[in-house]
Amino acid sequence: MHKPIITIILICFLGCKTDKNHEKNVDLSDWSVVDAKGQNQSMNMMMWKGDPKINAYMNDFVLPKVKSQYGIDVNIVSGQGNMIVQSLMTELQANKSESEIDLVWINGETFYQLRQIDALYGPWTSVLPNTKYINFDNPFIGKDFQQDIDGYELPWGNVQMTWIYDSAKVKNPPQNKAELLDFAKAHPGQFTFDNHFTGLTFLKSLLISFAENPKELYGDFDEATYQKYSQQIWNYINQLKPYLWQEGEAFPENVPQMHQLFASGEIWFSMSNNDSEVDNKINEGLFQNTARAYVPDFGSIQNSHYLGIPKLSQHKATAMLVANFMISAQAQAHKSKPEVWGDGSILDIENLPENQKQHFQYIAKRRYAPLRSELDQNALMELHPEYMIRLAEDFRTKIINP
Amino acid sequence: MKVYPVLIKLLFGLLIVLPLVAGLSYALSYSLGLSGLLSKGFTLDYWQKALTSQNLWVSFLYSLSIGLVSVVTSLCIAVSMALSWNKSIQQGRLSYFIFLPLCFPATVMAFLVLQWLSPSGWFSRIAFELGFICSLNDFPNVVRDFYGVGIIFCSVLLITPFFTILMSNIYRNENLLELEKLSKTLGASSRKTLRCVTLPILFKKSKMTLLLFVIFVMSSYEVPLILGRQYPQMVSVAIVQKIQKFNLNDIPLGFAMSVLYVLLVILVLVLFGKPSRKYLKPNIK
Repeated sequence: MHKPIITIILICFLGCKTDKNHEKNVDLSDWSVVDAKGQNQSMNMMMWKGDPKINAYMNDFVLPKVKSQYGIDVNIVSGQGNMIVQSLMTELQANKSESEIDLVWINGETFYQLRQIDALYGPWTSVLPNTKYINFDNPFIGKDFQQDIDGYELPWGNVQMTWIYDSAKVKNPPQNKAELLDFAKAHPGQFTFDNHFTGLTFLKSLLISFAENPKELYGDFDEATYQKYSQQIWNYINQLKPYLWQEGEAFPENVPQMHQLFASGEIWFSMSNNDSEVDNKINEGLFQNTARAYVPDFGSIQNSHYLGIPKLSQHKATAMLVANFMISAQAQAHKSKPEVWGDGSILDIENLPENQKQHFQYIAKRRYAPLRSELDQNALMELHPEYMIRLAEDFRTKIINP
Repeated sequence: MKVYPVLIKLLFGLLIVLPLVAGLSYALSYSLGLSGLLSKGFTLDYWQKALTSQNLWVSFLYSLSIGLVSVVTSLCIAVSMALSWNKSIQQGRLSYFIFLPLCFPATVMAFLVLQWLSPSGWFSRIAFELGFICSLNDFPNVVRDFYGVGIIFCSVLLITPFFTILMSNIYRNENLLELEKLSKTLGASSRKTLRCVTLPILFKKSKMTLLLFVIFVMSSYEVPLILGRQYPQMVSVAIVQKIQKFNLNDIPLGFAMSVLYVLLVILVLVLFGKPSRKYLKPNIK
């Protein structure tokens, strides 16, 4: 009668396996070793899976290619930002010798947190043959939230924040802070920003716009500079607040919520950190084809997103092979097609060999967002993550619950 | 030898008590700076911050009031249904309709409520088409509102079926129909019978369950995340945001808040719940 219970208890205890690190003593600074060691393995990649186009790009292009070229099976696990940090932090706290995750898709604030807890493997990016085509001198690529990437993360794509509006309702979208305030007063309840990453990126671009010279805010976090300009932001947002959606008493929790409000006509503006999002969402049928993207005159933040390998990954060589493919001209060009994803490439296309440059020819232009070359003119650099932490905290205490 | 009950107790200890105690101990040690990758040693700073945080106490009170209002509202509806349609609830087609919300996970129900009640939702659109409002934004704001109407509405939809089953079963098991007849035979009016016989017995028998449901609603996460606003915030949402947002140095504060919340819940249970052995071992005769 009690045998099944004893069996369950035994399985629980015997199921606890001992960790082994497969690559502990392998020198991964030699690409030929990486190539030999990494093939015909399975690995787990943790990434945000909230966009059907990005999922399709990974599932229908990257995964079949790495399977056919290297015999690698990539298992994609859903998770972003804080979930990646929490997972890797838990593994480190539990003194695990092997991570369940081998490759992560991250951006600056996650990179900052992962470096804080020393969860990333590196330096590893210089070993990859395809990194020679990346323009690391471009500060929007070679620096991540003002931090040197130091070979601990690999640039994968580059985007710029855009404002999205409904051109059927908004004929002249506001181009500066004064126009935005006038617009909000004339059309109360139609503008807002979210309480997460994109909203904070909007606040960062406002912060920069108050500075006499954006470079004052670049580099490490500086308390005096923050105090000097942040007060101006909160004064401005408090002027704007009564005319925001729900009179500024509530904010969309994230961008998908804001897109939903925009799509249903409740608000006339949305925002995105992906400058090709408007084309994607119109093609998906979520947005009306009167939606347009633009960047106001005071600019918006351009940043790159990256790939990292956890320090405890047991398949580092495999992750490096996959990452090298993901920054190849073929993969980058396919990713930059508006109908695929529309993500900006981190490659220095002008300096690619002719046979690789051809991948970027005949890529259709996007229809509803300005060209990248136009956006570049109003591109602002990301600030140090500490600015975002402080803006998030002050936004709560000075605007949400003053 | 009675091996089976011992093993059941062992399993209960291993699967329920041990993880709970381990989790609480971990949270406590994290909040005291004794665990965590960024820990700098023992400190009471996070507890001081948690205890003096106005936001946290507002969250507690807000969650408690949402829990109380939701449970009282559900209770009123459930008792009315159980007493009015007792036979239909047990057998008829009505039972399918009443118990339908049990099929919906909290997240799905929250999104449904959002689709119904938001300014761009179905009711707003119907009101707009019928000419009751001039624009969608004129629709009364009942989701993401200060009073948590959307959260309460969703919680009521989720828990009313449970209460209806509970009240209906108590009504049958306690032979309330016979007691009501007896009361009326002895000269009590229908109203007095309800006030002095039916409701006190129903309440007495369900007291502990009601208290647990108040705690259940207080601690809910998905519903206030979707239907709530940034201030005031339900306690689970406030804690998770501290633990999972951008500042890793806020994690110990988040753990201090969660341990404090657990202590308060235990205190409420001890003061008002008194889970007696009789409750834990009902009707063993």
